[in-house]
Amino acid sequence: MNGVKDTILSVDRLTVRFDASPPLLKRLVTGAGRRTVHAVEEVEFEVARGSTFALVGESGCGKSTIARAIAGIQRPSGGSVSFMGVDIAGFRTRHAAMPYRRNLQMIFQDPYASLNPRWRVGRIIAEPILTHGLMTRGAALTARVAELLETVGLSPGDTAKFPHQFSGGQRQRISIARALAANPAFVVCDEPTSALDVSVQAQILNLMRRLQRERGLTYLLISHNLAVVAHMADDMGVMYLGRLVEQGDAGQILGRPLHPYTRLLLDTVPDPRAPKRDRARLAGEVPSPLAPPTGCAFHPRCPLANARCARERPLPIRVEAALVACHAVEEGRLPSRPPAAQQSFATSGDAA
Amino acid sequence: MSLIALRHALGGFWESDLAYRFRRSPVAILAALVGLALLVAAMGAPVLAPYDAFDPAAANAADARLPPASEGMFGDYYTLGTDPQGRDMLSAMLYGLRTSLVVGLASVAAAALAGVLLGLMAGYFGGVLDAFIMRAADVQLSFPAILIALLIDGVARTAMPAALHAELAVPILIAAIAASFWVQYARTVRGLVLVERGRDYVLAAKVTGVSTPRILLSHILPNVLGPVLVIATINLALAILTESTLSFLGVGLPSTQPSLGSLVRIGNEFVFSGDWWISALPGLLLVLLSLSVNIFGDWLRDALNPKLAS
Amino acid sequence: MSALLKVEGLRVEIARRGRVMTAIDDVSFEIAAGEILGVVGESGAGKSVTGTAVLGLLERPAFQAAGRILFDGRRIDTLDEDAMRALRGREIAAVFQDPLTSLDPLMTIGDQLTETIRTHLDLTQAEAVERAARLLAEVGIPAPRERLASYPHEMSGGMRQRVVLALAFSCEPRLIIADEPTTALDVSIQAQILDLLRAMCRERGTAVMLVTHDMGVIAEVADRVAVMYAGRLVEVGPTQSLLAEAAHPYTRGLMGSIPDMHRRDVELAQIPGSMPRPDAPVPGCAFHPRCGQALPRCAVERPLTFTAGASEVACWLADPAARSAA
Repeated sequence: MNGVKDTILSVDRLTVRFDASPPLLKRLVTGAGRRTVHAVEEVEFEVARGSTFALVGESGCGKSTIARAIAGIQRPSGGSVSFMGVDIAGFRTRHAAMPYRRNLQMIFQDPYASLNPRWRVGRIIAEPILTHGLMTRGAALTARVAELLETVGLSPGDTAKFPHQFSGGQRQRISIARALAANPAFVVCDEPTSALDVSVQAQILNLMRRLQRERGLTYLLISHNLAVVAHMADDMGVMYLGRLVEQGDAGQILGRPLHPYTRLLLDTVPDPRAPKRDRARLAGEVPSPLAPPTGCAFHPRCPLANARCARERPLPIRVEAALVACHAVEEGRLPSRPPAAQQSFATSGDAA
Repeated sequence: MSLIALRHALGGFWESDLAYRFRRSPVAILAALVGLALLVAAMGAPVLAPYDAFDPAAANAADARLPPASEGMFGDYYTLGTDPQGRDMLSAMLYGLRTSLVVGLASVAAAALAGVLLGLMAGYFGGVLDAFIMRAADVQLSFPAILIALLIDGVARTAMPAALHAELAVPILIAAIAASFWVQYARTVRGLVLVERGRDYVLAAKVTGVSTPRILLSHILPNVLGPVLVIATINLALAILTESTLSFLGVGLPSTQPSLGSLVRIGNEFVFSGDWWISALPGLLLVLLSLSVNIFGDWLRDALNPKLAS
Repeated sequence: MSALLKVEGLRVEIARRGRVMTAIDDVSFEIAAGEILGVVGESGAGKSVTGTAVLGLLERPAFQAAGRILFDGRRIDTLDEDAMRALRGREIAAVFQDPLTSLDPLMTIGDQLTETIRTHLDLTQAEAVERAARLLAEVGIPAPRERLASYPHEMSGGMRQRVVLALAFSCEPRLIIADEPTTALDVSIQAQILDLLRAMCRERGTAVMLVTHDMGVIAEVADRVAVMYAGRLVEVGPTQSLLAEAAHPYTRGLMGSIPDMHRRDVELAQIPGSMPRPDAPVPGCAFHPRCGQALPRCAVERPLTFTAGASEVACWLADPAARSAA
């Protein structure tokens, strides 16, 4: 992992804030002030070409907002996103952004909302090709659409059907075919399987991995499902309340989590292969991003928090293949993990 | 055409939920058949009418105000009687129906076009444009529709020479009615666009780099047309009635161009002298027309409403 | 064993456009007092319809076409609407996926609790308020007395689901039908709600029919599991043994398709194809077109239920006659 990485995407101090103020008239009447949602705060990470980088966290942690900022449908409030060496904020016109848009596509969570219900499948898949002028209408385009459908495991005869004639899993396949149509290098996958049944999820995850192998695709995977992340990711970032609390090699983070939030999150996931195990609980709820806590955002729920955590925001420090933002880690206050986790700690420690 | 052939011609539509509900609703079928028959009668007026209602030479003053089923001085047979100028009522009503339908359909189309476009832009772009369009709509809504139509007609009347106004009477009337109906489309479409523009298929198009006009017209527009269709159908009856009201009030079409409303007005003077048919027959036709359109519109609204689907 | 809930040969049909489709086909199971039965299956398997049928809340075009539902030995599927309503909330309570559908947005939490309590129990208003506050405290809502005056929209999703639990337990029911109670929640909140549900049931001896698509949830709370596929019950057995060693090929496929946190870089097991839809039923065993081990008879004969280990399995592969012949 220490070789020179071919970085395809680099995110630098990305910040996204939303204005959630009441309307002007109401502010004047009630004296209420402006309110800002701190959706994403100074997030930094890099994605290597051909790998999968996963962002995990609970709802409202800002992971989908990052996906949208990278996909160019959410304007950042600060920081920059650089894709293939070009800062995407620098595009002044739609035309200038076209090469970047051709190389970056997105798969959405809800297969029922991500396909235009009034369009036939053939038209849906052909749209990116026509938009980027890669082909004109004709036999070659028809053949290309048919080929894409076969690539994702559907039949070329499906082009004339409407989305509602397909099941959720099949629709997600259509979404993937559309995302691949313009031959992109990078695909943003925003919860691609969380609306699907597990057996269908397995089909889609296997398909995504096969396509990555065959085409050298890079994925940014947004998911709340740690098992899916474990299965797909090379590197990962754990988000809490708009910030990355831990990032790095997925194997290390899942096997030997350092940040208390990552540890509790991993403990919380129900595992059908280990029924009714004893586990630590994550108490309380995520605070409102309208008024994030001072210091470390996790300190009100953290079993290891002290006065410094409430006061001072921790900066990321490197621990082997991961970056962790936690005072307890820095100060060596971190307790060891229960036996099962301890074991994997030992093995990876030996390897390192 | 046999049912099988019809089924084949309609293809996938025959199997759709909408077509299924239609086949199962005798009221909707009846309303659609009556409306269709009236449409055919109106458009076929030049062929179907025994006399040309626009030709003053065809009217015979000596045959004025004859009751239904009577014979004129020169052997003309008037099935539904004649009006005070000696015009054949049946012919006048067929031509009147045509005028009413043309004005109604054209004004609904114009209102829908303007309202949908303004609603699309207001909903998609938001901000100042949205505020401007919607405040204009609010102002417009605070006047009764008929008052706006009266106002536009009045302005046109004073601004133009009488001959020109008579010539442009139909387009002016259409514009006047359209101007009072666009608000409903704009509001409905704006509300729908606010929902649609955040849906993933629109985001997917944005990610791909599809241009904004294309997103609006080929992605969002087809998905907001259902409710527009319902409003248009229900508005058609309203537009026809508005035209009739204006014509009845004498500010609509000149009496040389009969519409159902102007026929009722002409007959109005003679109701108390016992010549009931001049008013009552066009009035009945108007009721039949607006009733069939309204019933069909109501059915369409229910059929397209997923919450009422069983 | 005397069952608290007994469902026998339940069949639910849906009449649409003059055609009759079978949503639930010959489903039988029992829940003992104090037992948590997990009903698991993928979307369209009929697990929610089963719960709805037990609650007597089937609505046109769905209707119960055959079978009996017995609660505490008394037949309840034939009860009239009034009697069923009296039973619901008092003896059988429901918890749904979206707390907003169970809570009235225009009523305070306190009013909703006291209304339910006073509908079913003979208590004064003051006693009902007292009980409501105690319930809120029990489901872990801080400052319960103050919270009685709150409206649902003033609470987070996790807090609302806690209120729904308080509402469900308000009249000490003997059975709770919980339909995907944690699906809309984040994992950390899901774990809190599941812990709460399990603890409250254990304390009071309340039985639960837990409908979910998530094997992880089943593993956390259920004593026994019933696996549904295409409107039929394919396997019923104790949670531990069923998860460790599923007997039905479908259950095995389902388990194999769940990504394993601890074994990365392995291809997930895939069940080819998709579940048949109710408008295109499959003859014989509903799973046979997707089953890697299907026998010729699977395509024609509907499997009987056999005992395999601790489980009951509807699969010809578990037929002792076939096994001894092989």
